[in-house]
Amino acid sequence: MILTKNIVDGRGLGKSFGALIALAPLDLAIAPGERVALAGPSGSGKTTLLYILAGLLPPDRGELFLDSQPVARLQPGRALSEAVGLVQQQLGLVPQLPVVQNVLAGRLGQWGLLRSLTSLFSARERDTALKALSRLGIADKINERTSQLSGGEQQRVAIARLMVQAPKIVLADEPVSSLDPARAEEILKLLTGLTDETGGAMVASLHAPDLIREHFSRVIGLRQGVLQFDIPARELTPPVLDALYDLDRNS
Amino acid sequence: MIWIGTPKASGLARVLETRRLLTLVLAGALVWSLAGAGWGGGIVHTGGGNSLKGFLLALFPPEVSPGFLNLAFAASWQTIVHAVAGITLAIVVGLPLGVIASGSLGNPGRSRLAIAAGVRLLLAFMRSIHELVWAVLFVAAFGLSSLTVVLAIAIPYAGILGRIYSELLNDVPERPLDGLRSSGASPVRVLLYGRMPMALTDMLSYSFYRFECAIRAAAIMSFVGIRGLGFEIQLSLNDLRFDEVWTLLLFLFALVLLVDYGSAKVRRSLGS
Repeated sequence: MILTKNIVDGRGLGKSFGALIALAPLDLAIAPGERVALAGPSGSGKTTLLYILAGLLPPDRGELFLDSQPVARLQPGRALSEAVGLVQQQLGLVPQLPVVQNVLAGRLGQWGLLRSLTSLFSARERDTALKALSRLGIADKINERTSQLSGGEQQRVAIARLMVQAPKIVLADEPVSSLDPARAEEILKLLTGLTDETGGAMVASLHAPDLIREHFSRVIGLRQGVLQFDIPARELTPPVLDALYDLDRNS
Repeated sequence: MIWIGTPKASGLARVLETRRLLTLVLAGALVWSLAGAGWGGGIVHTGGGNSLKGFLLALFPPEVSPGFLNLAFAASWQTIVHAVAGITLAIVVGLPLGVIASGSLGNPGRSRLAIAAGVRLLLAFMRSIHELVWAVLFVAAFGLSSLTVVLAIAIPYAGILGRIYSELLNDVPERPLDGLRSSGASPVRVLLYGRMPMALTDMLSYSFYRFECAIRAAAIMSFVGIRGLGFEIQLSLNDLRFDEVWTLLLFLFALVLLVDYGSAKVRRSLGS
């Protein structure tokens, strides 16, 4: 076991898909309590990095330690679900299931097999799901088939699932992209509140500079898989952002 | 007048010409083979034309006497019972085998793939033998009994269902499964909460279709002497009672329609 005070410790993390370099090797160290924003244009490697941090995608090279444990050692189950959780940008829910089942899926890492099976027919810990959905303003949708909800509502269901899971490391891939500014504000407050409760850290990709400056302590810029900068959030000025998203400069 | 030379045939034009040539060759082969079939005289059995006419006319009206209708109902019931038993057993056996063959269970590794491959081989063997051949094999063991029919349907159908189930379970979208894995779900839980709910409608739909096939299979198998629609059809055919044959065929048609209707209702209630 590596002794480190960091809750996320990644060294030389890289990933390629054939000839495409999705993520050029980078180092990433995140301390407990940090809130890191990922910025960058589409295809810059933000989703790839988040998937690697979530343990869903093995990196081609490099090592990753989550909460002081090597990620390969964290088999699906209690340890992994307590360490890290991810809210995907879209399509991360099972459309045929009722909302309550998708939310309670956040508990699957903790539940035994029998409880997981029986809950599918009669939801256990329904109140937990109801509480999370209420805080997101969609408690009334709890029994609806998930596919019936709008994109923004489904995104909130995915966040509710994460809240039920309550992992130490909260990862979110554009969690507020289909939400209006007021809702976006609420959601980010909720997510940061979650990390405060668990004493963990948060990494989220988003575009809006105001939200980054307000809710995050640190921002990492990626462009075409390559790290551009890793600065405190208050140093994210328009010129820095413009250079990152610069449309004139291609490959 | 200025002559502009005709442009050389482009690549596409050459392909099309090849296709046209090919079509001509194939059409020519078809005509030639049909011509060689010996159309003079012996192709339709002498008196066959009259037999066919007699058979078709017997539909108006079919035999509807209460005695015969009772017989038809009893035979239909027998056929349904065989079909239901056969398909149920096929699902009970095919579903777990299909899950294993899909490779969804167990942690990624060579042993999981080896076991899945082994089960796929077993399923292929089960369905490679046609239900009628299974029936002939089982008649030797169990005689002309319901057990023969049920097993002869269940084994190949389990092979078919298992293969289809495994493919449907594998073809579900991957993103929702990633979502479940990110919550810490093990492969079994990913199967229960992700693969099965997403594949369920298609699995049910195909199972209903196979139930329809099982009804036909049960009807055919009763030709060999086990009671059922096929048995009665054969008796009536032997007596040249075509009106009775039509009644029985209409019953068979009705059975298939019922299954079709039931399947549509179930699909709608699942909100596909």
